[in-house]
Amino acid sequence: MTPLIPLDSDWLTAILPELILCAAGMMLILIDVFVPRARAIIAPLAVIDFLAAFWSELFVDGGTYFSGTYQISNITRLFDIVFLLAAILCALLAADYLDREKLQSGEFYALLMWATVGMMMMAKGLDLLVVILGLELLSICIFILVGFHRRIAVSNEASLKYFLMGAFATGFILYGTALFYGATQSTNFAEMSRWFARGDASNPLLTVAFVLLMAGLGFKLAVAPFHGWAPDVYQGAPSPVAGWLSVAPKAATLIALIRIFGAMTPVLQQASWLKMVAALSILSMIVGNAVAIAQRDLKRMLAYSGIAHVGYMLIALISGGTESVAAIAVYAVTYALMNIGAFGVVSMLAKNQNDPQTLDDIAGLGFRRPFAGAALMVCMFSLAGLPPTAGFIAKFFIFKTAIDAGHTTIAIIGIITSIVSVYYYLRVVYYLYMKEAPAADMVPVGSVFATSALAIAVLGIIFIGVNPTPLFAIAGAAARSLVP
Amino acid sequence: MSSVLSITLWLPMAAAALLLFFPRTAATAIKGLGLLASVATFVASLGILGGFREGVAGLQLVEAHSWIPQWGITYALGVDGISLWLVLLTTLLTPVVFLASWNTIHKHPKEYVIAFLVMEAAMIGVFLAADLLLFYIFFELTLLPMYLVIGVWGGANRIYAAIKFFLFTIAGSLLMLLGIIYLVFRHAHATGVTTFAIHELYGTPLTAAMQAVLFFAFALAFAIKVPLFPLHTWLPDAHVEAPTGGSIILAGVMLKMGTYGFLRFVLPFFPEATAKYAPLLIALSVIGIVYGALVAWVQPDMKKLVAYSSVSHLGFCVLGIFALNQTAIEGSILQMVNHGLSTGALFLLVGVIYERRHTRMLADYGGIARTMPVYATLFIISMLSSVGLPGLNGFVGEFLILSGSFKTQPKAAIIAATGVILAAIYLLWLVQRVFFGPITNEENRNIPEIAWNEFAAMVPLVVLMVWIGVHPNTFLRKMTPSVEQLLSVVERGREKGEAVLARGEQRAASSEQVAAADVPARRSLPAARPEVRP
Repeated sequence: MTPLIPLDSDWLTAILPELILCAAGMMLILIDVFVPRARAIIAPLAVIDFLAAFWSELFVDGGTYFSGTYQISNITRLFDIVFLLAAILCALLAADYLDREKLQSGEFYALLMWATVGMMMMAKGLDLLVVILGLELLSICIFILVGFHRRIAVSNEASLKYFLMGAFATGFILYGTALFYGATQSTNFAEMSRWFARGDASNPLLTVAFVLLMAGLGFKLAVAPFHGWAPDVYQGAPSPVAGWLSVAPKAATLIALIRIFGAMTPVLQQASWLKMVAALSILSMIVGNAVAIAQRDLKRMLAYSGIAHVGYMLIALISGGTESVAAIAVYAVTYALMNIGAFGVVSMLAKNQNDPQTLDDIAGLGFRRPFAGAALMVCMFSLAGLPPTAGFIAKFFIFKTAIDAGHTTIAIIGIITSIVSVYYYLRVVYYLYMKEAPAADMVPVGSVFATSALAIAVLGIIFIGVNPTPLFAIAGAAARSLVP
Repeated sequence: MSSVLSITLWLPMAAAALLLFFPRTAATAIKGLGLLASVATFVASLGILGGFREGVAGLQLVEAHSWIPQWGITYALGVDGISLWLVLLTTLLTPVVFLASWNTIHKHPKEYVIAFLVMEAAMIGVFLAADLLLFYIFFELTLLPMYLVIGVWGGANRIYAAIKFFLFTIAGSLLMLLGIIYLVFRHAHATGVTTFAIHELYGTPLTAAMQAVLFFAFALAFAIKVPLFPLHTWLPDAHVEAPTGGSIILAGVMLKMGTYGFLRFVLPFFPEATAKYAPLLIALSVIGIVYGALVAWVQPDMKKLVAYSSVSHLGFCVLGIFALNQTAIEGSILQMVNHGLSTGALFLLVGVIYERRHTRMLADYGGIARTMPVYATLFIISMLSSVGLPGLNGFVGEFLILSGSFKTQPKAAIIAATGVILAAIYLLWLVQRVFFGPITNEENRNIPEIAWNEFAAMVPLVVLMVWIGVHPNTFLRKMTPSVEQLLSVVERGREKGEAVLARGEQRAASSEQVAAADVPARRSLPAARPEVRP
């Protein structure tokens, strides 16, 4: 009689980062309850825990665990780093934010850690069900994190919206998975891949399954037309959470999608499923960039810009091949730095959460708070994809992949929508440096935590922009580990 | 001294980084360091001139380091006869800007100096880059500081002007970026080597249709930058709203990045398309010459007048480039430098008087030659240089362009020549109304004379105007081999294209029942493509 889960001897080290985060999360909650005086050091403790998880990545051996349902390789390591980077930046910004809003507590960081564990599962799962488990763990944490500012109506509203929509999305994903199982007799990627290798996608069940799955995952990615929740949720969520939410879950969903697409490679072309994804990409780029122009609230603007950025990443996804996986990985790292950086400045500015953070609130900031202003400017230029920032390199990589794969039309649409996006990113710079500041307007000074988060983001953006070679090497190795 | 190019390129950037740590109140120290750094950069660029060997056509003082090996992108710099004088023009005009604006920038001096230093480094990078992606990065990097300079230190309508400037330029250059990626992709496809090195991309095999598409992707970006009629509408706005220093750099150097781009990329990359579409660009440049001159004529605002004169003068540069012969191209490069000197000087001088009277309207002036004799003398010299008076620099450039283009494009040259006459009319008209006649406005009786710093800024410009005018060979002989080589690349490419066409026609003829009328249609057949491969 074999055990249900054959325990490999080294399975414990394989999931070391996850274990560290799970345990640290519980520890933080307990500290918060039993040693209330220690509340002041909870944020640094959380950051240290994330760093420990970061460090433990070094000891994790590559390989397949848990009956071929859990894979650890260069690609999962790289995405783990993206999740941890996003979480660290979020924790640093939140330390400042929660203090100001008198919400400092262990649960916040614990939820952030468990959400990170969920994302790691999504990235490592070799089985649709593992991915879904990770996704659910992530989603439950997000529901609470979005509504963390419980005294404020907009935060509750955002949480409820995300919960209701998210429940539907999960339903779609589960239904799609069930249909896939029905058609291919498996939810394991390797077995699905073997089934698809027969090259038969004529079963209409498969198309329905694919559409349902894409709708559900598209919701998590906030691609148009499944993006409706994003602006409201980002606006209502605490700013550090919004920044993290706009980056990390999207990266996790993308890596899961990369795996699903990898399994379907033989049939993707003939079944015109790629055309559907291309349509999502084009729609996202157009809707995101066009609607962002009309936004005066910074968080809503960043929400729409995020929709467009996922559109860019989908360009690489449909191009296929090793290069495109590397391009998505590079884009994910870059996007984490620049988007959380931008949300970070917004979070530092908040006089209180009820205020909409509009463009007028940053008028003249560039000269009053030179560091925060310059950081926001760098993030904006990077989001706009202007050299010498990381955003340029990442976007260049995407368009290069598209052209190499022969998707010239979609690359041209991407470039044209980028031109549109320059307008609203530049408008932020215009408010920063060219508008007079309202008289006697107090701007909160960021603490050392928030400032260091911004410094990490800005230095990372410029370093990758000037010297992308190391990141390319890592991303290239990661991509090769996924696509042999 | 093998790293003299890198030193020149990074010196201003290093100074800008150093300035970040200066307290913003130490305005004099900041301006002093800015001036010092820009003068040091100029001295370093004289080192480039010293190390430049005449008679060599290709890139010199080359530096190449691996940068992004995955994509075959290198940090490669080099200078040749085409870029040499443009680099020196850049390093000369930046200290001129700092000198001229010494007393006029009160708002945020620290950020002002940093912006100009970053801009200088980026512009030097544009002219020195020997790698296509490196070029592109510097090309775009020039935009950001200029956007801030116009937007923060500009005039009343500065925001509109700054955003329009930025969006026009970025729209062109992003499409060029796609063109760059596609060109490199075609090159990799044909040779198996992914590289962005400019000289290796020369002679990339392309079908006629592809050449046409890529030609327009590149030409659009550069035509917006130049700016060529009808893409010039951002220029008057940007110039009028920009502070004096911004106008000097914009007109003096940035517009030349467009003409330089035509010479460095469009001509040698796409020789067939160049030959095919040269008449179109010549037509647009001639329209620009006459249109710019006519519009300048009716401007009541001095700065706008000079701005439109730039549209007209840059038309000459583009005309010279697409005339595709030695004389005209040399004249065109010289004219780029000339325009930088004379228009830079005119913008500087318009700024001087604006600081004193806070108006640029011609009608508000009259007879000020009596109150400001030194200023008037400098203005008239610069004006005559811009008009093209023999003995000053403008004459040499325009003469070479017109005589060169007369050989290949006589009609265009004849129409363009009217631009010279119109320039004389509008500039002399300007001088007459501002400097001579009775003093009608009492405020003009006691305008303070030009200050020491403004005078010092003008001296090198005037010296060079006379030098180029009297002995242009100092400058021309360093360009000659590079221009010859450029033309031979274009010629080879064109011959290759024609050979392909000829073969295509032969094949068409041999495959019977093909009517003679079908032959032209065969010209763009991709079937002929493999033979283009070297």
